[in-house]
Amino acid sequence: MSPPRLTFAGVVGGYGTAAVVREVSGQVAPGEVLCVLGRNGTGKTTLMKLLMGYLPCWQGSVQLDGTAIEALATPARHALGISYCPQERPVFDDLSVRDNLTLMRPDRDLAPFADYFARFPILARRLEQHAGTLSGGEKKLLSLTRGLAEGQPVILLDEPSEGVQWENILHMAALIEERKAAGTALIVVEQNLAFAERIADHYLVMDQGRTVLVGPRGEIDRARLLVHLQV
Amino acid sequence: MAQQILATTRRDFLGGAMGGIALGLAPGLIGSAQAADDFKIGLFYAQSGPASLFGPTQLASAQLAVDEVNKAGGIMGRQIKLFPTDAGGPPADTTKSAVRLLLEDKVDLLIGSHDSATREALVATIKSKVPYIYTPVYEGGECSYNTYVIADTPEQQIRPSVTWMMQERKARSFYLIGDDYVWPRKSNEHAKKYIADNGGKIVNEEYVPFGAPNKFEEAVTRIKSAKPDAVLITLVGADNVNFNRTFAGFGLDKEIARLSLLLEENTLKGIGADGSNNLFSCMSYYANAPGEANKKFKDAYFAKFGDKAPQLSIIGTDCYAGVNCAKALVEKAQGTNARALMTAANGLTFNSAAGPWTMYGQHVDKTMYIAGCKGTEFEIIKTIEHVKHGEACKAA
Amino acid sequence: MDPLIVTQALNVVYGVTTLALLVLGLAVIFGLLGVLNIAHGEFIMTGAYCAYVTQANGWPFLAALPLALIICGALGFVVERGLIRPLYARPFDTLVATWGLSLLLRKLTEAIFGMGFYNVDVPLPGTVALLGTDYPAYRLVLIAISGAVLIGLFVWFRISRTGTRIKAMVGNRELAEAVGLPVRRLATYTFVIGTCLAGLAGVLIAPLVPVQPFMGLDYVLKTFFVLVVGGLGTVMGVLSGAAVIGGLDSVVSAAIDATYGYLTVLVVAILFLWLKPRGLFARS
Repeated sequence: MSPPRLTFAGVVGGYGTAAVVREVSGQVAPGEVLCVLGRNGTGKTTLMKLLMGYLPCWQGSVQLDGTAIEALATPARHALGISYCPQERPVFDDLSVRDNLTLMRPDRDLAPFADYFARFPILARRLEQHAGTLSGGEKKLLSLTRGLAEGQPVILLDEPSEGVQWENILHMAALIEERKAAGTALIVVEQNLAFAERIADHYLVMDQGRTVLVGPRGEIDRARLLVHLQV
Repeated sequence: MAQQILATTRRDFLGGAMGGIALGLAPGLIGSAQAADDFKIGLFYAQSGPASLFGPTQLASAQLAVDEVNKAGGIMGRQIKLFPTDAGGPPADTTKSAVRLLLEDKVDLLIGSHDSATREALVATIKSKVPYIYTPVYEGGECSYNTYVIADTPEQQIRPSVTWMMQERKARSFYLIGDDYVWPRKSNEHAKKYIADNGGKIVNEEYVPFGAPNKFEEAVTRIKSAKPDAVLITLVGADNVNFNRTFAGFGLDKEIARLSLLLEENTLKGIGADGSNNLFSCMSYYANAPGEANKKFKDAYFAKFGDKAPQLSIIGTDCYAGVNCAKALVEKAQGTNARALMTAANGLTFNSAAGPWTMYGQHVDKTMYIAGCKGTEFEIIKTIEHVKHGEACKAA
Repeated sequence: MDPLIVTQALNVVYGVTTLALLVLGLAVIFGLLGVLNIAHGEFIMTGAYCAYVTQANGWPFLAALPLALIICGALGFVVERGLIRPLYARPFDTLVATWGLSLLLRKLTEAIFGMGFYNVDVPLPGTVALLGTDYPAYRLVLIAISGAVLIGLFVWFRISRTGTRIKAMVGNRELAEAVGLPVRRLATYTFVIGTCLAGLAGVLIAPLVPVQPFMGLDYVLKTFFVLVVGGLGTVMGVLSGAAVIGGLDSVVSAAIDATYGYLTVLVVAILFLWLKPRGLFARS
């Protein structure tokens, strides 16, 4: 088994003085997906923001390929190889779909997106339209496309399937599988268990900011997960 | 000084606050140790606000007179100590400063170089307790007790220049434009009388808000369609510059003559050569006026302040005369008793940059110049000697 | 048509377009970065002094443009890095900081040039016959240049990569950081663009006004009103705000007098602040 690409250990952080994430640890290796599960408000998105550097880690460490990155700002973490697709406001509403995709590509070339357009033809049809006019689910497709196509070694996806039709969720799963096969390490926050079961290699289940269950997909059956997911 | 932050107009809001802070930080102006027998003079002039352009030459000219007087033994043996005080903000701020000067600093005499609204407020605050000398060109009518005016009066400035425009430049109709405050409105009342006396007519009279960021395209277009022979301008400072540049920009300068009642060297520099064609001024002093007295004054001014000396202008030289007037007045009255001063003022002679002046009826007769603008210089066209001030103050 | 009405109509066009030109720099910095730059007028003043220095050295008027862009750009760069950067998202602090900056720039100008007025010769003197009236040539050119700058900025912001990136940064800063946009550098760019536009406006307006340390104060209030009326962050906002404020000022000044023009502008600005605080065309 290859060494972990992204590791976080004993991470604590939150907003103001209230810790939302308390001593959460985990890791993900190249070609694997770590699915972070849990009810609403258990700190999953906050964990993503701690990993991406939007919020400071009050305690604990974050390492990329063995290098500590918990002190780095967001753009620096991106530059080191972490892509991120946020749950809220996942695209640039004021920009066209095309500009959303090519914003950081000097050649403004759309060729790298051919695979994605084949699966999500709506994006190709709406290239010149403002992304703000897309539906919530369509924005998620655009966001995922942008994030996966960045081709970085680590990708953080925060609820990528929210509002997305099942057919497109399957396409998402297939695209994620392609990235996995190419050696990308992904951490995916999910509410949709069926989707999670398709892509996950490991689970990390959170409740009230803490880890309550962690382990490989094969060792954790659906019933144990549901205990922590049902309201 | 904090009250200046509460100043009202836009310019004063920002500019005044700045002046206030600058003053508050300036060392040595306030509260420094001083000999008990100094003769203390409070000098009101523009450190902030729209008139602060004149501030440097007001202070420099007064300072020059103070140096000269002190070198010659001071006032009755007492060295003059000057208390420069801002009068560029709203009158209420200046009167507060006046109260402080009177009660805390216990000044012996006040000199004021500021607008008429401030003068009226100051006279009411001082209540004749100390002598008050008012220096800049004004609209006339100041006869308050223990108040002495060395400014050009309407009879000295407006009557001769308007009459000259009408008789020698053949102007029959006038358009009046000014800033909206005491001096322009009262000056225009005088001007209308003089114009009527000479059989001329007024085609329009208009005022722009004082201290607002005025632009003049619309007013100039109105003047263009009204086709007067001449425009009488009682705009001051930046408004005066803006108006005249706009006026010439619209090409009206060839057809229509302009007479500006507060046009001195600083303002003319702003108007520039391309704005000053067919523009006239009337004052008792220009920096390039002839005469031994002015030459001597200028030598001393530039010897003291060098090449970087503030631009000379009547607004400054009247402060110079004000300090000299203070010395002559107090020494003649042998003190600052109001009644003795009022008596001494009649027939009092003192030195100005234009030579000796003699006071009676709380005002001064003087030689007046009518000047045309040649580029950014004044060219004296006509000299009128011994012009009576025409004010009818009854000696109390 | 009555030449008087034609002239007054041109005055309205002139008033609106020059006001739009004067407000652009403020609109860029306030609308995109959320920084109310109280020193905007002082950057205009700096541009005007560049025009004066150019003339005093005997260089052609147009040489003032690169000079002003270099000086205002460099000044904007230093100010953004040293003063504004630590204060983003703290509106009151940036207000106080830029107010202090305006005092500093004014005092510096006073120290270098003195308090006195300077004038810059009109580069195109004389009038041009137009629609049956004479109108000053330079003012007509200024109308054209203001329109061109406005359209140019609009187009550039639409199609250039930097414009798109600034839009991305302004619209969604978190995502901009996540995709690796150099947001801090972009903010510096944006600020510098704003100060350069102010400097450009200063050069162009210099031949028409007295060049003096206090001149910047003349523009602060009016340009701020334009943004109040027009709203933040869009070119349409700048245009509509300038049209309302500059247009009303000109029309009322022409129809009655400047006092009523000034009064109308104040009343309208207050009404907008009260009833429609986001203005006519605020960015969503």
